[in-house]
Amino acid sequence: MAQILTGGVGKIEVAEAVERLGLDGVDVTVSSDLDAATRLRTGTADYYLGACHTGAGASLGLLVGLLGQGACHTFGRGTPTADEVDALLVDGKKAFGFALDRIEAVAPVVARAIAGRGA
Amino acid sequence: MSAAGTGLDFTLPQQLTVIALCALTAFVSHLALAVFNDGVRPFLLDFVRGRSTRGATAAVSFGLSAGFVFGLGAPMALASGVLNPWLLFLPTDVLGILAPRKWLAPLLGAAWGAVVVFGLKGANRLAHELPVDFLTALQEMSTPILYLFTLFPVLAVTKQFGRVRGGVVGVVELALVVLTLKLWPTVFAGAVAMAVGVLMLIGFAVARDVGQRRAAAPVSDTAGTGSGDDADPMASLFGASAARLRRHLPLFMVLGAGICVLAQLKIFGGGEATSFLVAKGQYAEAAQVDLYRMLGFLPLIATTALASGAYGIVGFTLAYPVGYLLPNPYLAALAGAAVFAVEVLALSWIGKGLGRLPSVRDSSEHLRAAIGEALGLAILFGSLMAANAMGGGLGILVCGGLYLLNEAMGRPVVRMAAAPAAVLVGGVVLNVLYWLDLFTPVKA
Repeated sequence: MAQILTGGVGKIEVAEAVERLGLDGVDVTVSSDLDAATRLRTGTADYYLGACHTGAGASLGLLVGLLGQGACHTFGRGTPTADEVDALLVDGKKAFGFALDRIEAVAPVVARAIAGRGA
Repeated sequence: MSAAGTGLDFTLPQQLTVIALCALTAFVSHLALAVFNDGVRPFLLDFVRGRSTRGATAAVSFGLSAGFVFGLGAPMALASGVLNPWLLFLPTDVLGILAPRKWLAPLLGAAWGAVVVFGLKGANRLAHELPVDFLTALQEMSTPILYLFTLFPVLAVTKQFGRVRGGVVGVVELALVVLTLKLWPTVFAGAVAMAVGVLMLIGFAVARDVGQRRAAAPVSDTAGTGSGDDADPMASLFGASAARLRRHLPLFMVLGAGICVLAQLKIFGGGEATSFLVAKGQYAEAAQVDLYRMLGFLPLIATTALASGAYGIVGFTLAYPVGYLLPNPYLAALAGAAVFAVEVLALSWIGKGLGRLPSVRDSSEHLRAAIGEALGLAILFGSLMAANAMGGGLGILVCGGLYLLNEAMGRPVVRMAAAPAAVLVGGVVLNVLYWLDLFTPVKA
């Protein structure tokens, strides 16, 4: 079971978007960037999805500082394909940021890719 | 004349201020000491530590900022006739980081400032001379913005603390608006309601944090050691960042003076809503709106600054409301320098405080989301009112249609700016139709 935490301005909406998919092997919890950074470092959670206006400030800011840029990726206001997300996961990215008005487009793609890796 | 409200006739001192400030912000960005884009700030940490190149950082900065310059800053400035931070400071973020030499950064920044000042002035003058004056029509925006913005604390409380408390705050705010309208007709109707709503939100958040800490107190031994281990890297990162910023205090004070003077000149609006208020000359309302907006952004800016060692170009945005209210630029310069000095010196302490008050931090996120939602509806509705004022049903068809088209295409223009941008394009379309003798302007 992959534990996904959400944070940033649209954390409730992100969690809802992921829950709505009803994916096996993925558990999503509304959290905060501060809490998520700690839990990802200690290994009590696996992935982080954050949304905010830019897709990198309120969502990823703290995580870039604490986990390092290597573990973080921002989609900004863009929308990735499933293959792109897979490549990022293989690359070891754990924390993802995207724009508030892209939640519906981005969160499902990332959640499905995470679920696909668990299977 | 109505044109006086929106006409951007910059005086020479105003033009020089904007150009000089853009040079300064580009220079500060070049030194990786501050950027406006909250999303770019975290990436400066690796750049400062030499783990990322100037080129790569500039690319990140451009990627995160470009959409907001063309999709938010430019349409907002054209629509309101007032400068805004997205239009001025996002490009100077990028140009400053991009500049390979120290002396080149301020030159590029100044060049951008000149482009904005002269370009916007020309565009504005042209627009007001057209038979269908869409800039005057856009003043319709201020009523929905002011009245719907009043409700943002209700939305934030509902999201964070549930329907019951949200409902209570809603009833209290509505009662206060009605009361204000009746008792003090000269004061903005939402002024008291907004203040009380924000205080209630903060009160709920602090009460929750204090309650939880008290509940956790008996097991503080185990919790203490556990969080002590985890807090360590955060504390050292935050401490190093705050120390880096303190070392450059004089430069930040100059920057603060510049930002505050810009706000004092009444040609600049700090937030999405404030541009339209400043355009209409409602400075007291603008100051109030930006003060509350600051509460939403302060924890974000403090956290990203402490996590990256780079500050916000406009600080905590407190310099905006101070600037709107001050009578002259000299006082504004002094006040701005003082505001930035206090902010930078208090940063470390604010970070510690926020760490202890997670609900307050959480509130700021709900606050920003609530502001976005309230303004989203207000700006959409205001834009349609402007479309109606400009071209009646045809105006609504063209502008509403362009907004829906943007939605259908996956929002190339940021949602907040899509409707005003649609009014601009719609205004041009109606002018072309007038010129083709296919449309008669609606008389007010």
